[in-house]
Amino acid sequence: MNKIKEGIKATCDAWWEEMKNVFKDQGMLIFFILVPVFYPLLYSWIYNNEMVRDVPVVVVDNSNSSLSRSFIRAYDASPDVKVAYQSININEAKTLIGKQLAEGIVVIPADFHSKIERSEQSTISVFCNMSIMLHYKAIYQAATNVAQSLNQKIQIARSGSITERDEQLATSPLNVDDVALFNSDGGYADFIIPGVLILILHQTLLLGIGLSAGTARERGLYANFATVNRRWASTLFGKALCYFMIYTVMAAYITMAVPHFFGFVQMAEMQALIGLMIPFLLASIFFAMIISNLIRHREDVMLIIVFTTVPLLFLSGMSWPEHDMPPFWQGVAWIFPSTFGIRGFVRVNIMGATLRDIRPEYIALWIQTIIFFFVNIVLTILAKRHNLPK
Amino acid sequence: MLKAIYNVAIRECGIIRTNPIYLFCMVILPVIVVIFFTSLMQKGQPTDMPVGVVDQDNTPTTRQMIRTLDSFQSTKVTNYYNNINQARQAIQRNEIYAYIYFPRNTTANMLAMRQPNVSFYYSNASITSGALLYRDLKTLSMLASASMGAAKLSAMGATNAQINATLQPITIDLHPINNPQINYNIYLTGSLVPATLLLFISLMAAYSIGTELKFNRSKEWIKASNDNIFIALTGKLLPQFLVSLTVIYGFMFYIFQVLGFPHLGGTGSILLLGLLAVLAAQGFGIFVSAIIPSLRMSMSVCSLWAALSYSLMGATFPLVAMDSPIKAIAQMFPMRHFFVIYQTCVFNGYPLINVWLNLLALIIFAALPVPILKRLKRNMLLFKYIP
Repeated sequence: MNKIKEGIKATCDAWWEEMKNVFKDQGMLIFFILVPVFYPLLYSWIYNNEMVRDVPVVVVDNSNSSLSRSFIRAYDASPDVKVAYQSININEAKTLIGKQLAEGIVVIPADFHSKIERSEQSTISVFCNMSIMLHYKAIYQAATNVAQSLNQKIQIARSGSITERDEQLATSPLNVDDVALFNSDGGYADFIIPGVLILILHQTLLLGIGLSAGTARERGLYANFATVNRRWASTLFGKALCYFMIYTVMAAYITMAVPHFFGFVQMAEMQALIGLMIPFLLASIFFAMIISNLIRHREDVMLIIVFTTVPLLFLSGMSWPEHDMPPFWQGVAWIFPSTFGIRGFVRVNIMGATLRDIRPEYIALWIQTIIFFFVNIVLTILAKRHNLPK
Repeated sequence: MLKAIYNVAIRECGIIRTNPIYLFCMVILPVIVVIFFTSLMQKGQPTDMPVGVVDQDNTPTTRQMIRTLDSFQSTKVTNYYNNINQARQAIQRNEIYAYIYFPRNTTANMLAMRQPNVSFYYSNASITSGALLYRDLKTLSMLASASMGAAKLSAMGATNAQINATLQPITIDLHPINNPQINYNIYLTGSLVPATLLLFISLMAAYSIGTELKFNRSKEWIKASNDNIFIALTGKLLPQFLVSLTVIYGFMFYIFQVLGFPHLGGTGSILLLGLLAVLAAQGFGIFVSAIIPSLRMSMSVCSLWAALSYSLMGATFPLVAMDSPIKAIAQMFPMRHFFVIYQTCVFNGYPLINVWLNLLALIIFAALPVPILKRLKRNMLLFKYIP
């Protein structure tokens, strides 16, 4: 009974020490408090506009006919692009792209209208600057959509049908509806921000905990910690408890308040969110504690953590679908809690998935929690053995 | 003077040899990042994304459409469901990314000219896969509508050219310049990897200066350079500069020569860009460590800065679509200028004059430490590292 009491007291002591540490140490204050509070706001602000509208395009109209002008008018009216310039030849249009004044060129050939009048097929050439994918998508999709609707008008005019219904049937006997189920406007922020938010939690935990361990090591606390404080298990628990307490607040703020401030899609159910975030935080904390064993000097942690951010985002399968990743990298992805955290959170938040739908993810996170926890115990025992004779 | 620089550089090489973190952050980790991005996206475009089918009609016509959908590059029909609820839940479980729904009597209604509806539901939670699936869907719907008309016209004796001209009077001929396969590897590796390299370079510059203070070697360092801060800095950063320049040139050789990424700008612009990038990143790192002598703070600033540059360079979500204050802020990131020069001059092959402002910006970043050299020296002699 006394032993348990002592253990609890030692845990509380370790918790209190670490808590003081977080608020006293400048570095930890930055990574545990400032970054999780302000970075989500900054990223949300960056992507807040969601859409790429009015991408500037140069038109080279060699036809100069009523039909080509109606194409240009309809193209300019599409929300995603705007006809910023009209050039007399393609070379002039190219220099505008070089000056970054336009992102694409639409060339209408001289025989554009006459071919249509002769019932021949007419071709419009679209040149895209491929340095930004969203620009390419906007320029190309707007062009095909305008061409499609003009085609329908031409077909209707030619068909000489009597009723409107006849016209509809002639141009499309089968109607194919496209419905974007989740993130229906295809907003960029709604797509990228959930991953970024989870990654901020994950990376700041790694940085903060690494920083704390590095400091302790520099001050020679590790030697003391094993000999003076024999209750290593309590230290482990106490520290983890401290991080967990801070991060439940941060996680609540990041996953619920931030999307709310910016009006991002938010379909998360409370039960699913809690069921996902608890194992995610625990797994991340224990994972960070393992990584912190590699840190010799406190600043080294930034060198080995910061660069992983974008690769981790890719490993989660957000930018590149996970089923199409090389198997080796899929295996690597399983090491990191962020992978399952992001996959789970994206589905809970954007697709309104329930806890049952993200079962593989939260089970993986619990397994990680357990494995990382035991690895930590083994590492602590090893460290204790290593330090005792000194 | 050259001898003094040489001496400091030799001293620095000794430091680099004894601390393995230098080797890691200047060579090993950058190489891993290059391998990561190029191998992850080596296919160029995600293919065969799993798509479900809810076929309540189940006729040869609908099966034909399903086969057509399956044959497209990005789509692979993997699962069949009885109703749309099951299919929707499968999307939520991440088993499929989209599904197509044929209601009962689709074929009958089509033959009876009652214009039936077929629905294609796709998830836009990831806009990469969403856009590719949408593209396949558009092709399918065009083919489906056209196939009926084509059959009728050919029965009436029209030639292929006539059929095409009737069904599609206007066609779009697309030219994705320099990236005809819409290769995501070319698109993303060319910008994300340099961002990581620049991150390491500026961090290492700040780290090597800050550690002099931290390990109490700063006075010795200044002394080794005959009390000349210019010699001290040049000598100190010379080894790092050479290693980083080799790494960035190695990366560029790998993507442009080995993987054959488009580089219309030619060797001259590539070499110039690599050189300016290393200098700008080092200049930025020195500048930060000169105004913030505390190692942890200067490194925090460098890392937070670099983490933002992935977004603010505007490679994924274009800068022009962001709010005006952000457009201004982005100019304070070396990576933004790197990206503009890369895509205009190296990727698209336009003359350097088009980006003279960005070139100037990189040179300014490289020269940032010059006005505060005195301050840096004073810090080195007076500042005390507080653990």
